[in-house]
Amino acid sequence: MEQIIVEATPRDTRGKNAARRMRCAGQIPAVLYGGSGEPQAVAVNTKQVAGILRSESGHNTIFTVKLNGSEHKAILKDWQVDPAKGSLLHVDMLRIAMDVRMRVKVPVHTFGEPQGVKMQGGIFEMVTREVEIECLPSEIPDEFKVDVSGLMIGKQLRAADLPLDPQKIKLLTDPQRVIAHVVALRAEEEKPVEAAAPTEAAPAEPEVIKKGKKEAEEGEEVAAEAEAKGKGKEKEKEK
Amino acid sequence: MLMPKKVKYRKQQRGRRRGKAWRGGELSFGEYGLKALEPAWITDRQIEASRVAITRFIKRGGKLWIRIFPDKPFTKKPAETRMGKGKGAPERWVAVVKPGRVLFEMAGVDAATAKEAMELAAHKLPIHTKFVSRAESF
Repeated sequence: MEQIIVEATPRDTRGKNAARRMRCAGQIPAVLYGGSGEPQAVAVNTKQVAGILRSESGHNTIFTVKLNGSEHKAILKDWQVDPAKGSLLHVDMLRIAMDVRMRVKVPVHTFGEPQGVKMQGGIFEMVTREVEIECLPSEIPDEFKVDVSGLMIGKQLRAADLPLDPQKIKLLTDPQRVIAHVVALRAEEEKPVEAAAPTEAAPAEPEVIKKGKKEAEEGEEVAAEAEAKGKGKEKEKEK
Repeated sequence: MLMPKKVKYRKQQRGRRRGKAWRGGELSFGEYGLKALEPAWITDRQIEASRVAITRFIKRGGKLWIRIFPDKPFTKKPAETRMGKGKGAPERWVAVVKPGRVLFEMAGVDAATAKEAMELAAHKLPIHTKFVSRAESF
């Protein structure tokens, strides 16, 4: 496996102004914590971290953080992304010991076209995309690949069906948890144009739980408004 | 049309649409999605029009999730009414959308079909949007 080295620089500044300046300069604020050391606020190169997240092993990639001349093995524990732009804002790096078992979430990928989709016209749906496991850092799988070509309508792929070595990897997710299934297609009902028209014209009001004005009151309100309007017009005519 | 079944109050204040959608900005169910890039009030009619556009395009096959719900009433005064005399009557229902919000999600179709369906849906909306997929996100 190729070793990835991330250069980190200690961060003295805090706050959104400094963080924004850092992001403009191609770095993102990060924190390195866990293991035996103290938490340390650092800055890391955005492209390097994005590269790790986009790699095959994704956020479970073990990389080396170089900080003040010392090296730490770490993984990405958490990351924040701008919801509109999709750019990275901050990452959490967790120091790891290679001889201590750890809990990680591993993605599940499927291959093959299910029989239920091909023959029965159902829809294949992924319900759970990640499962939690416990293992040594060196034994973290990149992904779990499962063949779903035998899946029929109404049949599920469960966490217990995943191909994992029980001696090395302990499954923490409920074994009965559905990973994927094939469901029957529910025909979408298209309403005829005539039926749809009246609902567009006057949408019914929902029920008001309490305190809300009743319809009768509203009617009175409208009548009073119309009356006031009528009086105003009469006055104008008199003038 | 989508609207709440029960409400506590019939009318609401307008509010402001500052900031980004820090919740509801990630794909939660499907493979592909349509993401808002601007803040807006999306009406129940616009949501319904987008839904119809998507379902007509994909015909059979594929699954759609609508990730926004119009739970905010907006009011309107009748035409040629003088100002004052209280707030108008509830007119329609809107969903408050901020930049980054995932509006629709799809699964069970290929990327090209999903993209075209989402484009059709985007034409029914009053804001700029972008097509997102799991493969491209972190």
